[in-house]
Amino acid sequence: MVHYLGGRLWQSIVLLLLVSVIGFALLHLAPGGPLSQFTLTPGMTQAQMTHLAAQMGLDRPLPIQYLDWLWHLLQGDWGRSYRDNRPVAQVIFGHLGATLLLMVSGMAISLSIGVYVGIKSAINRGSFFDYMTTVGSMIALSIPTFWFGLIAIYLFSVKLGWLPAGNMYTIGNGSLLDYARHLILPASVLGLVDVATWSRYMRTATLEVIHQDFVRTARAKGLSHGRILRRHVIGNALLPMVTLAGMQLPAMLGGALVAETVFTWPGMGRLFRDSLGYSDYPVVMGLLMFSAILVLVGSLVTDLLAAVIDPRIRLG
Amino acid sequence: MTDRPLGSFATLSRRQALTLLGATAASVALAAHAGSAAAAMPKTVKGQLTIAFSQEPTVFNPHLLHIEVDEGIHFSIFNPLFGIDENGKFTPALALDVPTVENGGISADGLHWHVKLRDDVQWHDGKPFTAEDVKFTLELLVDPAFRSWRRAGHDLVRDLTVVSPTEITWRLEKPYAPYASILASTFIVPKHAFDGVADKNNASFNNAPIGTGPYKWAERVAGDHILLTANTDYFGAGPHLEQVIYKYVPDLTVLYTQFKTGDVDVTGLQWITPDHYDEAKTLPGKIVQVVPGATIESLTFNMERPQFKELAVRQALYAALDKATIIEALYYGLPKPAESYMPQESFYYNPDLPKHVFDLDKAKALLDGAGWKPGADGIRAKNGIKLSFTNSTTAGNHIREQVQQYIQQNLKSIGIEMTISNLPPAVMWGDYWMLSKFDSVIVGLDFVTGDPDTSDFFLSGASPAKGGGGQNTWQYVNPEVDKLLMQGASSFKPEERKVAYLKIQELIRADLPFLPMFQFATVRGRAQDVKGFTPNVNTRIDSWNIGDWSRG
Amino acid sequence: MSAVSLTPESSAPDRWWRHRAVQRFLRHRLALIGLAMILVLGAACIFGPMLLPFDDLFIDLRARFAPPLTGAHWFGTDPLGRDLAARLFMAGRISLLVGFMAMLTSTVIGSVVGVIAGYRGGLVGMVLMRFVDAILSFPSLFLLLALAAFIKPSPAMITIIIAVTSWTEIARIVEAEVRSLRDRDFVLAARMLGLSRRSIMVHELLPNVAGPIIVAATLTVARAILLEAYVSFLGYGIQPPVPSWGNMLNGAQQYLANAPWLAIVPGVAITMAVTAFNFIGDGLRDALDVRSELD
Repeated sequence: MVHYLGGRLWQSIVLLLLVSVIGFALLHLAPGGPLSQFTLTPGMTQAQMTHLAAQMGLDRPLPIQYLDWLWHLLQGDWGRSYRDNRPVAQVIFGHLGATLLLMVSGMAISLSIGVYVGIKSAINRGSFFDYMTTVGSMIALSIPTFWFGLIAIYLFSVKLGWLPAGNMYTIGNGSLLDYARHLILPASVLGLVDVATWSRYMRTATLEVIHQDFVRTARAKGLSHGRILRRHVIGNALLPMVTLAGMQLPAMLGGALVAETVFTWPGMGRLFRDSLGYSDYPVVMGLLMFSAILVLVGSLVTDLLAAVIDPRIRLG
Repeated sequence: MTDRPLGSFATLSRRQALTLLGATAASVALAAHAGSAAAAMPKTVKGQLTIAFSQEPTVFNPHLLHIEVDEGIHFSIFNPLFGIDENGKFTPALALDVPTVENGGISADGLHWHVKLRDDVQWHDGKPFTAEDVKFTLELLVDPAFRSWRRAGHDLVRDLTVVSPTEITWRLEKPYAPYASILASTFIVPKHAFDGVADKNNASFNNAPIGTGPYKWAERVAGDHILLTANTDYFGAGPHLEQVIYKYVPDLTVLYTQFKTGDVDVTGLQWITPDHYDEAKTLPGKIVQVVPGATIESLTFNMERPQFKELAVRQALYAALDKATIIEALYYGLPKPAESYMPQESFYYNPDLPKHVFDLDKAKALLDGAGWKPGADGIRAKNGIKLSFTNSTTAGNHIREQVQQYIQQNLKSIGIEMTISNLPPAVMWGDYWMLSKFDSVIVGLDFVTGDPDTSDFFLSGASPAKGGGGQNTWQYVNPEVDKLLMQGASSFKPEERKVAYLKIQELIRADLPFLPMFQFATVRGRAQDVKGFTPNVNTRIDSWNIGDWSRG
Repeated sequence: MSAVSLTPESSAPDRWWRHRAVQRFLRHRLALIGLAMILVLGAACIFGPMLLPFDDLFIDLRARFAPPLTGAHWFGTDPLGRDLAARLFMAGRISLLVGFMAMLTSTVIGSVVGVIAGYRGGLVGMVLMRFVDAILSFPSLFLLLALAAFIKPSPAMITIIIAVTSWTEIARIVEAEVRSLRDRDFVLAARMLGLSRRSIMVHELLPNVAGPIIVAATLTVARAILLEAYVSFLGYGIQPPVPSWGNMLNGAQQYLANAPWLAIVPGVAITMAVTAFNFIGDGLRDALDVRSELD
């Protein structure tokens, strides 16, 4: 086990290095750059641009810039945002909360609907409900998230006027209810897209459990249907669900980033697009490493949990 | 991030120009003490106001590299020595009066400056404001280790001397008339906030600014909003509001929606999009106003491309440009057609330039006459050069993308092929623009920044692609214009300069290095009870006079 | 599956439509619906523009923002007065082609890398798969936008960009399958017969992982259509005036209140196409008996 973990750790480090090299090269080699937005500033001259580039160290050879960045990173210094002038870690964590709120709410929605639908269609296998939910969740899976968002805004904000079209809260209000009203649309859009993932999984898991001996025994003992479901089906399906959640993490993050741009949600997705637009290299690199680490941790936890749950899986 | 935010201390009024150069009597000193009279009265502040920007202000040290939206915060928190109002007049702020040749503030040769300061000003942290702060500010701007947003002008300052806490003098290396308008956008920062700070780029002040202005820094929720509170010790009139909130709303449609619902009181930078104007006008409880800007929208050529070298081609393209329809249909009739790069409000504007006429037949005749004959594919060519080019602008600017496609269709009908190739802003305005790597571009530029001198744009030696330091990205070369530009820049008499600049406009209208389309006008909206809002083309942001704003 | 089959594979008649997988696919109702949807969409995109009285590029500013069913404009017009139906069908040609070509490219790259990494294993496999993992840990948004900054956008370039971001999933699936087959008897036998590495990979391994590849490829078309839509929606994809489903949505948010059909029409087309490919993928998965990761 220790050996296995060591190996995984080693691989992860290699992977992170690779991600950082590719990301760094892509960013810095792309035309434009952090100074191009200032070319149209009054009084700006080519000479001053050159001077600024030298100040910011952008005139050095790329490998040197990379090693410099890496060296600082290894010392725990993520650099400073060009645009925001604050430490990158602080900038990122400032936006993390909003994204987490959106992701968690989205996942809560897709989980609760998915689990309910999955169990119900397993019990009533082949029924109209089963069929319609399968089709429905597949369609939801196919809708472009950003377009789904647009349509939701059109229906619920523009036409019906029930819910706000964007933002996280109304300034000067900030009550829980206000947050909730703003959260409903983006979280639903994000959640509904993922229902299929959960409902399919729950359907299969439930079908498996229903046919197992102990459930038959339980039923023979006269336990009620609901009780069997609660005790055995959900209990048995729960742990694998955590692994599934781990695997869904990167996809969830990707979805949240897209939803944020449509709903002007002040999270990491907006930060990412803004920073990319400003060529704010330190922040983009920081976000990149952050999401890569998230993906790695997600998959590691998934594998470990899978081993814990299923003794047949041996790590290493 | 858009190409709009060019500088614009655009249009010095004629009187202003004269005042600066000491040719006539100044009248601005009168306004000098208006502020101190008001200061004696007790401040009553009430209500809060939300201003929305579609970009996020993030740079709060006004001298660090920043973009125009950041200046919204700067104007609220800081003061310059003197500001510039909507008529292009300088008004004293931290200075007791605006230095002129008459009042002895500027020597007759324009080299020696002497500024007297107010003695009743306190920083937000309670410390007194003195001449040392002014000295520190002007030194900071040219500090080689500091990531300064603007050196031009300040790098001419020599012998900076604090005479007393309320007096400062300096000498300019050479006479430089635009320096006054540069000072009008130079906010004074407190020296004591940088005491013992080794790296001024990363001073804690930069994220918790201390100023002398009408509003104080209270809170920032990154990615969302900035909250400022009234500075009740402010030396000028105002502030009248308890709180001002600068809200970041990255999408203009959402911004408009929030304005409609009342979540936003004032639509700040990038304002209301033209397609919403008709609806916005009818909104109850809102005031919606069309405000002309100094920005000139043009279709710009790279004159080094073989297709564009011939004048007849550029003339034909101009004749094929359906300006009227673009303005009426796509921009909802808001902007004014333009023939010159000079804003129509300027003292130096030439109103007698030939008027553009949209005439596809004339365009065809011009091309035929010049020997550009349609090839087998319907595209005209001459000596093996096809009349085909790309056109670029900032990706995501929807109305401009519509304009491009409309132009494309008209050009196609006369045998010219225009391909659209739009780029993200960071790419567009980098080397692609500066080093003239484009064929043609649709761009809105502010040519005139405080002074009518446009050497940076039109001097033949000002093309970065040819090693120049300016922004002559069309690579325009005309020896006569060069001569006139020199003449205009070396003269000190506005009337004399005007002659040169009128002629330059005429020459450029004839040479057509770019096809002038229109002078921008934008739609600004605010809630009815917001008082004090005054558009000012001489500043880059609507909240330039936020200290005077009130509600109710 | 082999446990329940009574007749050996070889004795089945050689008619492809009698093949068990085909039979199973044909019994899969959703897959058939998906197939039908694609055929209808495809036919509309191929023949639609010929039947409509409008050109997809013709600008008529007098007819701006006509709502659906105005005269002969079934789906209305866009902000430049162009017929939305004509644009939708022409856009479909581009979007479906981009999706299809991106699928082909990424399937080829993914399969080659996957087979090599899975069969060779060792250092080569390690390096290849770590590279795949590295690409997979990028948010696809980042890769797309970063790459779009490099290249002048054209349908071909967008295809390549999408392929670059989506071949890795196929590589991962193929690698895992091949790795599990590497030490099977038939491979060992081939090796003993002295077949070259390449011929083992191409003739022995590849056909055996065809099932998962076909399923993954189908889902990749769906994914590629979505990606094209998103990049073009952001304005970095297919450039006007050439329409694509994605760039038709570009700017639609601005007109949501007054001209919602600009958003609805192309969005429905995208959703239909993606749903169809997902249905087909689902059917193929069942028919070819490919275990998905999740089930």
